[in-house]
Amino acid sequence: MNSPLLNKPLKAFTIYALIILACSVPVYYLVVDFIWMNELDEHNRIIKENIETGFRNARIDETEMSSLLKNWHKLQPGTILEPAHVFINRPDSLYTIKRLNAGPGDEKIDRFRGLSSAISINGKWYHLQIETNVEETGETMLAITGVTILFFVLLVMGFIVLNKRIAKKIWKPFYNILKKLKSFDLTTHQSISFDETNIEEFEQLNQSLQKLIDKNISVYNQQKTFIENASHELQTPLAVLRSKMNLLLQNKNITREQSEILLAVELPLTRITRINKNLLLLAKIENNQFAEKENVDLTETILETLELLTDYISSKHIVVNKIISEKLTLVCNKTLFEILINNLLINAIIHNTEKGEINIEFSKRILIISNTGNAALHNEKLFERFAVSSTKATSSGLGLAIVKEICNRYEWQIQYAFQNDLHSFTLTF
Amino acid sequence: MKILIVEDEKELAADLAKYLAGENYLCEMAITYEQAVEKILVYDYDCILLDIMLPGGSGLQLLDILKQQKKQDGVIIISAKNAIEDKVKGLQIGADDYLAKPFHHSELSARIHSLIRRKQFNSSNIIRQNEITIDLLGKTVKINDIEVSLTKKEFEILLLFTGNKNRVISKAAIAEHISGDIADMFNNHDFVYAHVKNLKRKLTDAGCNNYIRTIYGAGYKWSD
Repeated sequence: MNSPLLNKPLKAFTIYALIILACSVPVYYLVVDFIWMNELDEHNRIIKENIETGFRNARIDETEMSSLLKNWHKLQPGTILEPAHVFINRPDSLYTIKRLNAGPGDEKIDRFRGLSSAISINGKWYHLQIETNVEETGETMLAITGVTILFFVLLVMGFIVLNKRIAKKIWKPFYNILKKLKSFDLTTHQSISFDETNIEEFEQLNQSLQKLIDKNISVYNQQKTFIENASHELQTPLAVLRSKMNLLLQNKNITREQSEILLAVELPLTRITRINKNLLLLAKIENNQFAEKENVDLTETILETLELLTDYISSKHIVVNKIISEKLTLVCNKTLFEILINNLLINAIIHNTEKGEINIEFSKRILIISNTGNAALHNEKLFERFAVSSTKATSSGLGLAIVKEICNRYEWQIQYAFQNDLHSFTLTF
Repeated sequence: MKILIVEDEKELAADLAKYLAGENYLCEMAITYEQAVEKILVYDYDCILLDIMLPGGSGLQLLDILKQQKKQDGVIIISAKNAIEDKVKGLQIGADDYLAKPFHHSELSARIHSLIRRKQFNSSNIIRQNEITIDLLGKTVKINDIEVSLTKKEFEILLLFTGNKNRVISKAAIAEHISGDIADMFNNHDFVYAHVKNLKRKLTDAGCNNYIRTIYGAGYKWSD
């Protein structure tokens, strides 16, 4: 699937941001947790030092001490002070524990950071344990993830907005070029000029395209002129040839054999003449020589053409079925439209079978001309010049190319289909 | 009857002259614009066959000169250009007919035949040939005063024959004469046979001599 150019970096940026932010979540967690732990250890140590200093300054005797120990829990919640059963003079130890929170009303498992230490009061060793509530791993994680997602969303939104702005500003000339190229049609003989831009790359692109297009137009014109001139030049020799044949035919001493040869020459000669005529016609259509428009009645044109073709239709015993359910007046060149209908109907006769049928249907601006046939034709090449190498000596190979050219001119659609042994051409006006 | 052939292709002009000479026309040729102007100004012709593209000028200019000189010469444009604009323009300026190259000699001859009849007999437009009388305007045919009803196509074929007596006319030429340009899109002109056969039958039934001969492999011939 294709996406606009600017969405490509946007996608990459977004994915990159997602990866980085996703990686940052555990890192943040580790850092925050580390700082937390350090801070709590510090905090616990300060409490321990406070307790130690408190005892040193208070000079508490033995009896006071025992009652103090009994009520210690009430005085300093979160800490435990008890006489050491054994002599312990060991370095402080740090630990993390998960247990039920002793706090009232809040019955849940919490995480605690603890400091277990031995302190000496009045020469006696006590065991002091300080535990401070630490935020739960999950909670920290959740908070960081939440914040990260929030930032991610902000980032992506920022990307999109910036992207749009950049697209509008910087890529504007590019889209202008694109628009002009899309509307460019070699056959209309109109060159295109690009707007000037102050971006070097686009200016270069403009110039290169301009060169390419000018070159194309010139080559196209040369080719067209060549075909036109060639067929013009061929006309006179063809006329002379036909004229000579004609005179030869009048010769009184001509034998039957000779006249048969003459007839055999006549056929290819007619074909060349026809091809030449059609090439000239194509050149003329391309040169816009049929520019005048008038109101043309579709039904009338079809009926007139059928009238002209009656002899050819009846000599092949073809049945013509017409279903023309509405009238349509087209604004186009009358000659061109006649040629279009002519070519379609002539094809329908030439490529028909003996005793076949021709169906002409028209309704809702759609004209379908179909005829009996044996095998489907190559759809994609059908409308190209000389594309259908017909074994029938009649074919000029240009009839459908002319039809296509005329359709293109007026933006009509033409389609070919082969169904139920019928070749059908559908023309949508 | 005098015909001027204005055509830069000598071969073509000579062939035309040769063909038309058989019809008792006196043909002169002009192969450049200047030659044509000279002849047009000095002589009167019954018919001028005019090519559009000439060395030294355009056939359309010649039409203008004819108009200025108020000449009554009939003009048939024979142009290779085959452009509708030329045709329209030529007919507007004063040409009487238009024939695109390449054409059958018989077609041209038939057109000249009708054109001269139209010009000469003004509005009467009657062609008489032995026992046959053809009314060009009314499109009716009489054999010894008996009217024969012909179809439009049979009538056209009869005109082609009377304009090309003793000439071999190919089926293709007949087909083109009655169907126009469309005919050269087809190779098979067998339907011509049916039309000619009907025409022949109708004429002989009305008491006309059988002038139409079938020339095997070539076409038909009207021989007196």
